[in-house]
Amino acid sequence: MKKLIIQLSVILLVSCSPVPQTEIAGHVDLNDLQPLPSPEGYEAVPLRVAVAAVISPKGTVESYAPFLSYLEEKLNRPVELIQKRTYLEVNDLIEHGEVDLAFVCTSAYIQGHDTFGMELLVAPQVNNKTTYNSYLIVPSASKAQSMSDLRGKVFAFTDPISLSGRVYPTYLVQELGFTPEEFFGRTFYTYSHDEAIRAVASGVADGAAVDSLVYEYALARDPSLAEKVKVIHRSPDFGIPPVVVSPFTRPQVKADLQTLLLAMADDSASTKALASIGVERFVMIDDSAYDSVRTLVGVIPTSVGQP
Amino acid sequence: MIQKYYQRVWAIAGAVNVRTKILGIVLGFIILLGVGVTVQSRYALTATMTAQLEEQSVSVSRDLAARATDPILLNDLLSLHDLLAETLANNPNVRYAFIVDPRGQVIAQTFEGGFPLDLLTMNSVNADEHHHTALIQTDEGLVWDTAVPILDGRVGTARIGLSDASMQSALSTLTAQLLLTITLVSATGVLVAVFLTWILTRPILALVAATKSVAKGNFSPRVSRWADDEIGDLAEAFNAMTEELAHTDELRREREGLRRQLMEKVITTQEDERRRIARELHDSTSQNLTSLIVGLRVMETNCAKCAAQSKATDLREVASKTLDEVHDLSMRLRPRVLDDLGLAAALERLVSEWQARHKIPVDVEIQLLERLPGEVETAIYRIIQETLTNIARHADASSASILVERHGDLVRAIVEDDGIGFEANTNQGERHLGLLGMRERAELLNGTLVIESSPEHGTSIYIEIPLPVRDSMAVKKEY
Repeated sequence: MKKLIIQLSVILLVSCSPVPQTEIAGHVDLNDLQPLPSPEGYEAVPLRVAVAAVISPKGTVESYAPFLSYLEEKLNRPVELIQKRTYLEVNDLIEHGEVDLAFVCTSAYIQGHDTFGMELLVAPQVNNKTTYNSYLIVPSASKAQSMSDLRGKVFAFTDPISLSGRVYPTYLVQELGFTPEEFFGRTFYTYSHDEAIRAVASGVADGAAVDSLVYEYALARDPSLAEKVKVIHRSPDFGIPPVVVSPFTRPQVKADLQTLLLAMADDSASTKALASIGVERFVMIDDSAYDSVRTLVGVIPTSVGQP
Repeated sequence: MIQKYYQRVWAIAGAVNVRTKILGIVLGFIILLGVGVTVQSRYALTATMTAQLEEQSVSVSRDLAARATDPILLNDLLSLHDLLAETLANNPNVRYAFIVDPRGQVIAQTFEGGFPLDLLTMNSVNADEHHHTALIQTDEGLVWDTAVPILDGRVGTARIGLSDASMQSALSTLTAQLLLTITLVSATGVLVAVFLTWILTRPILALVAATKSVAKGNFSPRVSRWADDEIGDLAEAFNAMTEELAHTDELRREREGLRRQLMEKVITTQEDERRRIARELHDSTSQNLTSLIVGLRVMETNCAKCAAQSKATDLREVASKTLDEVHDLSMRLRPRVLDDLGLAAALERLVSEWQARHKIPVDVEIQLLERLPGEVETAIYRIIQETLTNIARHADASSASILVERHGDLVRAIVEDDGIGFEANTNQGERHLGLLGMRERAELLNGTLVIESSPEHGTSIYIEIPLPVRDSMAVKKEY
């Protein structure tokens, strides 16, 4: 009798054990570990394109994808996008020929050109100009009118060698007779301009200096930002962040790329590619366009990561 | 079929006592309830935890995909590895995590020293899907594998495997706890049931004991009313009944005593009267008759050849015959030999006369070394006398036997015949009255009388009469 009851309960318990409702996809032995196959190489040698972290890695992928596809199609070879957290890391890659083509920041170009011979290829033209500015932005509710009102506040820098994101605001603070460490309550690096805008918009930072091109582009993409941040100061014009090649890039490749980029605006197929990176066309530019910036960089030591 | 099972169940349930029945009810109920609750709980818990596991699988992998984007884009494999390790450490249910690039290459994973390659093909997700979960059977149990596209699939896919081990362990723990609870409750239930049974059966057992006592004729026991319930009512009713029985029994005994006294009186009176008449007949009537006979003989002798001589001879013959009849009558009323020589002699004489009259041989065996108390002798004599009368009247027997013997303090007499017998149970007619009188005589002396008879098989009568203690033998009470 008791045996029967025990048997009955065991049967009931077993029959009520978890019954998965989804179908089982298959069987895997999790402890049967095998070496992973080594990555297959590309069929053709890819063109390696580095994009400095002006905007966040995710934003970069989204913005540059049509442009890179366009290059892939035109050059008939794969294009690989390489991103790094800092400008200096990108400069390192260029210096050692580990990338062929790069979109760099103005100050990074000056540094690369002056130290290891980074070569100008073309410059993007935006709003008919090849210059840009640094915008000092604060939350829209802020009462700050100028840099002097941000004393003791939290300030967001973008990159240690960014002209618009660090060099120029540091210059403004020095004009007031302080170092950033003395002047601000606290500072931090966001490593990209769109993140700096986000930091101000969300109130994490009381102020930040950002690339005007990125700011306009961000505002165009998300008009609600205008309600959250405002520009309280605008820098003089600086030479626009250029497109460069490594000193190791073969002259033929360099010439092909230059021809291709300069002709882009005339190719109807490139409309989307250019629009998504916010560029009207690529134009030739002379190194002298960056001399005014050289003066400013000379005044402000870009101590962090300076070789 | 049902009938068969019912019978089987009843065979078990009916055979055990109330204590076991109550225990069975309590235990059965607890176990049934316990098993039911366990099954239901496991079922509910399994459903809830499965849903939670799937949800967790999705949320963890979505989170991982979001956080993995930048390290992948920056080709920061160390951070990616750290991120996966952190995901694994923070979510005990996560069995594995890995990232696959758009070309299908695993760029970071949490397996150490290799990778189960079969896993790659088990699950995939389209770029426009939120996530895709597949259930995979592994050597370690079921795993919910969720794939989430990273940056719309442009940089790859994050894969997370959630093992159901924690769910199984939770289920085991729950089951173990419930079974433990059932065991404890059962133990408590058994104790309670034992106590309950004791409360219930104590008055019933008392009633049973009292009933047995009453059945043996002892009306004194009373059961106490333990509780104010049905059993209490029963106890009260039982007590009332016992009292009534005791009262009735007392009345019955009283009447029995009276009847016995009366019977004794009747028998004593009858015997006394018989003895007196017998003595009278012997002493007075016989003497007178003898004198008459002697007178007639003198007259016969003196008056030879006279007319009265023949008359005197006739009269003397009549007187002589009458004397014989008086003797016979006296003998039958109360044989003097019984008083003077005892049972053995009286019986032998009775039998020899009876044989002579009825021409039926009787085998007599009397083993008595000494006289018995008078009342016993009289009773046995009268019973055998009545029996012989019955045999002569009804039995149509060709032979009979009589055995009287003494066994210590017991006298036993057996009378048998090979006659037509009768239905021993019949209780009708004059014969029945005779048998009743015989039994009455035996019982007045605390003896027994058993009749064994059936048609065509003759009749046997067994009489057993205990002898009074020796002291009382001095007081010879004679009937």
